[in-house]
Amino acid sequence: MFLRMITASLLRRRSRMLVALLSIGIGATILSGLVTIYYDVPRQMGAQFRNYGANMLLMSSGEEALTQQAAEQALSVIPAEELVGASAYRYVTVQLVKRQLSFVAAGTDFEQVQATSPYFMVDGSWPSGNREILVGKQAAESLGLRLGNVIQLTYKPETAVSAGAEDQVAGATLIGSAEGFGGGLVGVTVTLDDEARIASLTVDASSQTEGYGLDAQEEAFTRQFIGQSLPVAYGDGIDALSGATLTSQAVIDAINSAGRSDSGVASGGNSLNMTVVGILDTGGEEENYIFMSMADMVALTGEADRLDVVEMSVSATSEELQAYVDAIAEMDIGVGARLVKRVTKSETAVLAKLQALVCLVTVVVLLLTMICVSTTMMAVVTERRREIGLRKALGASDGSIRAEFLGEGMFLGSLGGLLGSALGFGFAQLISVQVFESSITFQPLLLPVTVIVSMTISALSCLLPIRSAVAIDPALVLKGE
Amino acid sequence: MSVLEMKNVSKIYGELKALDNVNIRVEKGEWVAIMGPSGSGKSTMMNIIVCMDKPSLGEVFLDGVDISRESSRSLTNIRRDKIGLIFQQFHMVNYLTAVENVMVSQYYHSIPDEAEALEALDRVGLKDRAKHLPSQLSGGEQQRVCVARALINHPELILADEPTGNLDEANEYIVLELFRQLHAAGTTLIVVTHDPEVAEAAQRTIVLEHGRVAREVINEHFGAKN
Repeated sequence: MFLRMITASLLRRRSRMLVALLSIGIGATILSGLVTIYYDVPRQMGAQFRNYGANMLLMSSGEEALTQQAAEQALSVIPAEELVGASAYRYVTVQLVKRQLSFVAAGTDFEQVQATSPYFMVDGSWPSGNREILVGKQAAESLGLRLGNVIQLTYKPETAVSAGAEDQVAGATLIGSAEGFGGGLVGVTVTLDDEARIASLTVDASSQTEGYGLDAQEEAFTRQFIGQSLPVAYGDGIDALSGATLTSQAVIDAINSAGRSDSGVASGGNSLNMTVVGILDTGGEEENYIFMSMADMVALTGEADRLDVVEMSVSATSEELQAYVDAIAEMDIGVGARLVKRVTKSETAVLAKLQALVCLVTVVVLLLTMICVSTTMMAVVTERRREIGLRKALGASDGSIRAEFLGEGMFLGSLGGLLGSALGFGFAQLISVQVFESSITFQPLLLPVTVIVSMTISALSCLLPIRSAVAIDPALVLKGE
Repeated sequence: MSVLEMKNVSKIYGELKALDNVNIRVEKGEWVAIMGPSGSGKSTMMNIIVCMDKPSLGEVFLDGVDISRESSRSLTNIRRDKIGLIFQQFHMVNYLTAVENVMVSQYYHSIPDEAEALEALDRVGLKDRAKHLPSQLSGGEQQRVCVARALINHPELILADEPTGNLDEANEYIVLELFRQLHAAGTTLIVVTHDPEVAEAAQRTIVLEHGRVAREVINEHFGAKN
């Protein structure tokens, strides 16, 4: 009978109940929509943030170089669905012998690079075949390279097999290079006299700053090395260029590396002819590099299965990322992982703010819903004063009056909750598509949560109206009214 | 044994004595009419009889229980268990059908029983209108549903407040006829009315004036029509 009365009240008094149902429904819609977004925002924003590049790096943590196998083992820690991309890089210094210039060349997998570094803008096309390279914009400018140009790249191993000052060949010509200011390479060509002392020194500091590091090319700087034995060091009559200590150090390092190199003779190394198929614009240091496929890199260096770093883009919260880093460290396979803090930190901060905003809006909407439902129920009570009086006259206790109104309210709440769940999903989907340009998945758990919250909200909204319903005097059904 | 007994009952609102030392008795199975002009204390007396109000002074016994000292919660229970109410404006729950309106009374009293409710509607000649909403029923039909509702829980006392006040003569006749049947079946009836004809249908009429019992009239012709 209780259910019969409640359903009759709702079904046969449609217009009034529709208003209440609508307000609960709209509230529930916003609630479930925003909660869906709230839970989906990290994923959505994560995807957005993945556009800013890798958020995790893998590197060798021991003496041994990073291998493909070790990297894959470390990668197995990360669930496949979270891994947006993982690009392995092998960096070496290559030389354009004809121009006496050195550049950093990177071997990588272009498909993965496009996933981990969506901000890489390529003029031309991504390399797809052998002997095709991508040249950074700055490098291309300094070399005057255009699409379709062919250049010869030469690789000379920097670290030698049996290095040692004693191995220096008297009368030999050695070349070497080292990283100077701003990551640019400084190259040297050294000839030794019969007693293995420096007879002549040519410095290529074209990557260094004009007026500072570039002065390393000047005779005034290079002549202080003449007559020195290898390895060279500060003191012994050698002074750094003022204002260019990094470049000076690079010259010293380059001379010493040339001295250690057993195949450091200018004629050594491996050369490949490469076609420029794309110019890379990133706005970052990558513009100074030359990119080639890993296969070409192996062909150029003759060193297979050697990586320097793996850049990964992982769709996960910063806590999850840290857990992966720890897990990889625990594997103890000579692979160390670290987070790109710049990316992960800002992601966390933005997410926290967004979620707080969504939370606030949800609370406000729920409050508004409560006010709306409460007002409607108040009107319902006023409208049904006689009926409530009659029920009391017929012997309804305060408890049954409460139960009936609460029952109606909660029934409305559950209907509104169901309605809201359906509409809310559509609402969230709409926002997601409009704002994040991706669709969302339906969260089944949200259905009972929305229904329960709607029921609670409508029950709470009914409290005040119920108080005034209980206060109605049954005597009003007798005479006069 | 009397179903209702009021002993020295007064109801005082500030300066106003709505009831002033009233003494009445209604025996079991009796049909009593209460008459009086507006302001004579009829409503106040009715509210006290149906346990919606308490006297300021005096004692009221309903079926042997003194209701003048009960809490409002137990007054609700007493009203539910012992009294059937019939109102001038009928008062039906407008979104429930005739039979459901009868069942509401059962619901608050004990357990709704649709068959019994239909039987009660049959007694007032409305079995075929059971599934109609109040808006689909005439005034007379509504009042007959209310009679069925009032008697469904077999109350000790049926109190009717101007039961024919909103009815035409034909329907008034039907309702009074129902009262005669109830009376014949042994039901105790108190009918509050303005209408001398309705009052004359009762065995006895209590006339109130200025909060006091002005006189009691025994209807000598009672039963003549039966």
